[in-house]
Amino acid sequence: MSDINAAKVLDLKGLPCPMPVVKMSQEIGSVNVGEVIEVHTTDPGSLSDFPAWAETSGNEVLDTEQGGEFIKIFVKRNN
Amino acid sequence: MDAKLKQELIQTFSERLSQAAKMYLENCSRCGLCIEACHAYASSPETRYTAVGRAQNIRRIYEEYFKKGKIAKKLNEAVELSDHWMEKVYETAYTCTGCRRCMTYCPFGIDTGVIQGIAKMLLITANMEPKTLTMLADMSIAKGKTIEKTKANFAIAAKNLEKEVLERWRSEGGEEVVPLDVQDADGLYVALAGKHSIIPAAAIMNAAKEKWSLSYFEAVNFGAFVGNPAKTNEIAGRIIEEAKRLNIKEVVICECGTAYRVMKHMSGEKPFKVITFAELIARYVEQGRIKLDKSKLPGKVTYHDPCQIARQGGIYEQPRYVLNQLTDHFVEMTPNRQANWCCGGGGGLVAMGEKDFRMKSAKVKADQVKATGAEVLCTACENCHTQLSDLNEHYGLGVKVEYLSDLTAKALVQD
Repeated sequence: MSDINAAKVLDLKGLPCPMPVVKMSQEIGSVNVGEVIEVHTTDPGSLSDFPAWAETSGNEVLDTEQGGEFIKIFVKRNN
Repeated sequence: MDAKLKQELIQTFSERLSQAAKMYLENCSRCGLCIEACHAYASSPETRYTAVGRAQNIRRIYEEYFKKGKIAKKLNEAVELSDHWMEKVYETAYTCTGCRRCMTYCPFGIDTGVIQGIAKMLLITANMEPKTLTMLADMSIAKGKTIEKTKANFAIAAKNLEKEVLERWRSEGGEEVVPLDVQDADGLYVALAGKHSIIPAAAIMNAAKEKWSLSYFEAVNFGAFVGNPAKTNEIAGRIIEEAKRLNIKEVVICECGTAYRVMKHMSGEKPFKVITFAELIARYVEQGRIKLDKSKLPGKVTYHDPCQIARQGGIYEQPRYVLNQLTDHFVEMTPNRQANWCCGGGGGLVAMGEKDFRMKSAKVKADQVKATGAEVLCTACENCHTQLSDLNEHYGLGVKVEYLSDLTAKALVQD
């Protein structure tokens, strides 16, 4: 269980390709630099997509959690 | 527009001028047979939504910079590159889904995809391409470089899908339910990011006792959507390298039309075969490797031919063969196969959003679906599925939009 405090929770469960990453890129600007968005997704591919997106956009995946009914990804806005 | 950018655009145009491209730009007789072939024009009759209208935006630049003769230039309405004209180039590139229906009606066989490709490269040069598509392409390329760091997490996610796969098909003890990194596998299944693209396929391949492996990469290729050949090749190259490393016999592309087109027809020679998942299901049924229960799919069912799999790839009969094993109530939409109307969501439009244009330009598709009276609308492409679901909601079609893979997995008969 992550103890990261998220400024926003983004529910991306069940979205078709490529909407999880598109929504993430649209929403990252809605939190302040240094704040975290907690993403909820059912896409296994997001576990590789989000770190790759973070790398190209200059943001950061702090942590991921699996085991529940959905995957949690914690993304920090860096710029 | 400054002189430097103008020169760069002329250079870009020049680099795209293959003999085929020159022929397509010079041979149009303006007969107009392509006009009503376009779903956008059929839905919203404006000249800018015709194949010839879009191509003219590019031909007029061609006349200015690549043809000689003052009179000919005047007669052919040559135009100089300008900021205003680049807006027209954008319309050429992104009011077209690349479905190539127009091409089948053109007496010269002019491939509008090639002309659209020039438009897309001009936009990239001018930094005017849709940034969402570039972002997604760059993400896919980065994923190829960072995949080793995320493989372990992906493996856990794949393991977590087992329960849902087993609900569709109970595998025998000891078998990997969602196998990864299987050396010498017969099939490398390349899915999309979502579990809906993995679970039914895994159940079907396990039911057929296939020796298969799940790719770490997503099938879709946003380099192709944005029209950047270098990025297209780099994205496809990740999967090709994975297939080579595992000594795969056949790469099986999930229900994604563009992914299939890129891997099958745009990636050169490869040491493995490339097939769609619809073809694989048809093979399993034909060989008796899976059995399907028709009672699972009541009501009238119709099928939308995805442009990149059907008109482009020639895969018309295999999905129909499978559907006829799933139901006794299959009805064709009219027209179908090569003449089928595009769903209106291709060419990157779904990823870009563009919902107003997508709905407006695909009214003819909505009318076509409604006329079938079907309760279930099946297709074999995620892009089409998303667009058809949006049309279903927007026009109140009252159908259930389904993937061929999902209908098949739900009908699997367990001995």
